Amino acid sequence: MRFLLEVNMIKRFLVLLVFSWVAILLHAKEIPAKPNPPRLVNDFINVLSAEENAALESKLKAYSDSTSTQIAIVIEQSLEGDDDFDYSQRLAETWQIGMAGKNNGLLIYIAIGDRKIRIQNGYGLEGSITDAFSRRLIEEVIKPNFKQQAYYEGLEQATTLIMKKASGEFVNEDFGSEGDAEGGFISTFIILSFIILMFILANRGRGKGGNGGLHGPTPFIGTFGSRGYSSGSDFGSSSGGFGGFGGGSFGGGGAGGSW
Amino acid sequence: MKRSNIILLVIGAVLLLLVFNGCGSYNSMVNKQEATSSAWAQVENVYQRRVDLIPNLVNTVKGVANFEQKTLTDVINARASATQMKVDASKLSPDQLQKFQASQGELSQALGRLMVVAEQYPQLKATQNFLELQSQLEGTENRIAVERGKFNDVVKDYNSYIRKFPQILYAGMFGFDKKGYFEAEKGAEKAPEVKF
Repeated sequence: MRFLLEVNMIKRFLVLLVFSWVAILLHAKEIPAKPNPPRLVNDFINVLSAEENAALESKLKAYSDSTSTQIAIVIEQSLEGDDDFDYSQRLAETWQIGMAGKNNGLLIYIAIGDRKIRIQNGYGLEGSITDAFSRRLIEEVIKPNFKQQAYYEGLEQATTLIMKKASGEFVNEDFGSEGDAEGGFISTFIILSFIILMFILANRGRGKGGNGGLHGPTPFIGTFGSRGYSSGSDFGSSSGGFGGFGGGSFGGGGAGGSW
Repeated sequence: MKRSNIILLVIGAVLLLLVFNGCGSYNSMVNKQEATSSAWAQVENVYQRRVDLIPNLVNTVKGVANFEQKTLTDVINARASATQMKVDASKLSPDQLQKFQASQGELSQALGRLMVVAEQYPQLKATQNFLELQSQLEGTENRIAVERGKFNDVVKDYNSYIRKFPQILYAGMFGFDKKGYFEAEKGAEKAPEVKF
């Protein structure tokens, strides 16, 4: 019995040894430190011009401010032999792109020297940014541009499409891929009717309680209003730089390709 | 104060400490066990996702003239046996996990062969439907790898916690047993053979 136990232990040790060797052989590439101050566009090798970089950053920041969905771009020279999926998954999880709980982060990782791109999306975006969508995006939008070294154009178009696709999930509750205005109208309508309903219910509650009067519903509305504002404020500060990654988690969804 | 009194006091204090400690350990063990269950739910989710993809994949491939039948039936059979394999989420014992992994592993291999064979049919590769299925399948395999990794991390945390002192004193008493890990897939290190 004891002998068996020992054999088991040795086996386990050997397995561990093999694992550590595999890890060394594959030499997992080190994850760069989170950008400080926080940025969404992280072009470590200056493939984009300063203007292009700033334009993308402000576009992504505006999107993150209004929807809380964080789209981050990382451009590096090489994967140093690491697997593109493994590395970008680790990078996204380490940086915690997206908001905690919502997991609405998305990473576009590019290794210029390896001519490889990966789109990784957080759990919260799996419904809208399907693997098939990411794959098509890479095949039909990114590759043709990147082949001509039009990196900015490729990223510009790709991020626009991602935003359109993802917007169904957090802003308009999927009222269709187009028609932001209509969606906005419907959601305001829903929110408004919700407030009115609350108002009526609160009033009724007061009536039953028997201590009705002018002050009745006001405190309730007060707290409701302030709660609404405070949840709005964790969507990031409205001015200045990007507020930072929020603790999103990734399940491995996405697609990759090389151009 | 008499010496015996002091001794009694010390014993009392130690006992009290043990009880408090036991409560704390117990609660932590419950939390960690819950974490393994929820990680397991995620694992089952992604495996289910793969299982759900297969009928669509099989139908797409079936439509192609004279597609190799054996690889198809292999996938269908492996899927059937994989869906029958259920794991008790509250136990997650090592041998249960090993069986689960074995049946899912067979499905992985059958699917791998199917995709390799499919590469030889240009008319299939040209269809949008197949391309999408292929990317979904790839994404699902990636998700499986991620969730397995996360599950292993949580189980490692739990297993090492219950085996440490003083939790080890209470773990057996309250039925907190060691849980199984996913191990590297047998044959995963070698890519499926391609014959022309």
